Amino acid sequence: MLSIKDLHARVEETTILKGLDLDIKPGEVHAIMGPNGAGKSTLGYVLSGREGYEVESGSVSLEGKDLLDMEVEERAQAGLFLAFQYPVEIPGVSNMEFMKESVNAMREARGEDALSSAEFLKKAKEACKQVELPLDFLKRGVNEGFSGGEKKRNEIMQMIMLEPKLAILDESDSGLDVDALQVVAKGVNSQRDGKRSFIVVTHYQRLLDYIEPDYVHILSNGKIVKSGGPELAKEVEKSGYAWLKEGEVA
Amino acid sequence: MSQWLAQVIERAGNVDDWLASARSKALAELKEKEWPGRRTEAWRYTSLHKVADLNLATTSEATTAEAPQVEGLNSIDLVFVDGRLTSDMTNLVLPDGVTIASLDTKNDAAENLFGQVKPQHHLFGLVNDVLAQHGVVIDIAPNANVEQPIRIVNFASDGVESHQRSLVRVGEGAKAVIIEHGAGNGHSLNTAFAEYDIADKAALEHYRLALHEGEAIHVGGSHFRLHNESKLNSTLVGYGSQLTRLDVDIEHAGEHAFAKFNNIYLLAPKEHFDLHSTIEHAQPNGTTEENARGIIGDKAKAVFNGRIHIHRHAQKTLAELNNRNLLLTRGAQINTKPELEIYADDVQCAHGATVAEIDEEALYYMLTRGIDKQQALVMLNFGFVQELLFQMPNRALANWLQPILKQRFERMMEQQ
Ligand SMILES: Nc1ncnc2c1ncn2[C@@H]1O[C@H](COP(=O)(O)OP(=O)(O)OP(=O)(O)O)[C@@H](O)[C@H]1O
Ligand SMILES: [Mg+2]
Repeated sequence: MLSIKDLHARVEETTILKGLDLDIKPGEVHAIMGPNGAGKSTLGYVLSGREGYEVESGSVSLEGKDLLDMEVEERAQAGLFLAFQYPVEIPGVSNMEFMKESVNAMREARGEDALSSAEFLKKAKEACKQVELPLDFLKRGVNEGFSGGEKKRNEIMQMIMLEPKLAILDESDSGLDVDALQVVAKGVNSQRDGKRSFIVVTHYQRLLDYIEPDYVHILSNGKIVKSGGPELAKEVEKSGYAWLKEGEVA
Repeated sequence: MSQWLAQVIERAGNVDDWLASARSKALAELKEKEWPGRRTEAWRYTSLHKVADLNLATTSEATTAEAPQVEGLNSIDLVFVDGRLTSDMTNLVLPDGVTIASLDTKNDAAENLFGQVKPQHHLFGLVNDVLAQHGVVIDIAPNANVEQPIRIVNFASDGVESHQRSLVRVGEGAKAVIIEHGAGNGHSLNTAFAEYDIADKAALEHYRLALHEGEAIHVGGSHFRLHNESKLNSTLVGYGSQLTRLDVDIEHAGEHAFAKFNNIYLLAPKEHFDLHSTIEHAQPNGTTEENARGIIGDKAKAVFNGRIHIHRHAQKTLAELNNRNLLLTRGAQINTKPELEIYADDVQCAHGATVAEIDEEALYYMLTRGIDKQQALVMLNFGFVQELLFQMPNRALANWLQPILKQRFERMMEQQ
């Protein structure tokens, strides 16, 4: 599904990713943990093609296609989804028109017909229900005045509606109360169909109790320094990152 | 002196009705007025040369017109065509506490309002004073809670000069919703002035739609006097047309009054729009929140003059005025001028005018959702004014305006 080889990337003058390798097969869930400032969000931004994040070397392919060669919107249309650590507020654009435009852009890219307003509304209602957001959120400005937890749930709602091939969830669990955490986890699990792949960035083992990963990676100082199974997350929870060697610390 | 104004003064001599004394006072003022030129502050960026020698018909052939249907609005419609009331007033079913009369007949409320709220310095206001023979007088009884909107529709036909007047009194503790809805795209000169007196603890929700296009010349004003603890929530939506000029005056004549005033202007290529707003804080403890946002197309010109005057006595005033403009091309023009006059020392006052720029983070976020760049820019740019549409309390009106404004905006983007 996704293959990252020796990825080096910088923001402005600072190199943040320093030789990152990651291989994800269809249907797999990979958790990425690591200290603050390690480069986890940077990875998401680089993969999504954010302006200002420059790839110095290495390659990334999504389903065999060169991801780095595509525009931001083409990457999304190719099936890449990024749930933001800090979702953006767009006060003058309603969630409804935003999602409708987005869903139909994806459909068009897949060669499908645009949804009618009624069809869209039905789908949106279902997605809202799944993440337990009240319907009137659709009428509000995108993320405008949403609480931290509501923003995170809104990201998951978008993921459900856009049906990506690979979803990167950047700390979708931070700032959530216990119930919201379950809602988010359920939302994610409902999208696990054996084909769709996930990168779950988190600081806490707790989320991984609900979303069971196939692999856990530790990202530190721009590289993956250790990989393992779910037990690796438990180790981090217990002893933190003190065991990281000099030079691997962010 | 302009030929047109000389003719106005001559025609005013023939107007003889129950408002004669108020009219003759206005006429005397008008005769003293100089024709505005570049050095007249109020008309500095808006040239009146197209009005100076104007010679349009002063009577109209048009008889009736249908008010634009706004789904779900369910308003009481008073339709004027070229300044003449064409709705059948005898058939109106009015909610409790509402009295609506024509300006043609003598009326107490009208006597107390005509020319009393509107400041005398507005040249076209004086023209309206002396020539507007038709209009409505809306009287909301104390404590009446009138939810059904009352809509005053003004159509301007091609080739006609017309003048219309609205007078509104919202009684103590009463609530009302009034919509001034103007339209017309032929070559006209039409003035529409409205005066509102909002009594103690009363609340007015107000809209002014100045949707004139093409060759229309529209000059108008909405003028409000707020008494103790009263509330005004007003939204103005304007196009430019050949020339659209609006004056809005909000006077805090009582304490603890609250005024929210949003304005949106959307100028197609070559249009001209000029909005002068004046907020007078004459009493303490008043609040004003004004937000003006405009999108200006190629070779179009917008003028925004926002004046806030806080009198010496008006302590604890809270006044905020923000004007943001989005220029679609290098040929688009904005003249925005803040005018703060603060004579009280214990006030909070903020005033900002900026040229808006695209929010890069929002754009990136939209792109990551697969929306292509061109479309994302349309949505973001339109979102800039749509944000104020979202704040309109009347959802039916907002929902009706949204696609109309969006289509206008999309055409503006195509014409770049
Ligand atoms: N515009 C920038 N210019 C310079 N450095 C930047 C810029 N943006 C991010 N960085 C740096 O890149 C590093 C990686 O940041 P990133 O946000 O990817 O960390 P993270 O692993 O997601 O951390 P957290 O767990 O706190 O979310 C940090 O040291 C950060 O300060
Ligand atoms: Mg991060």
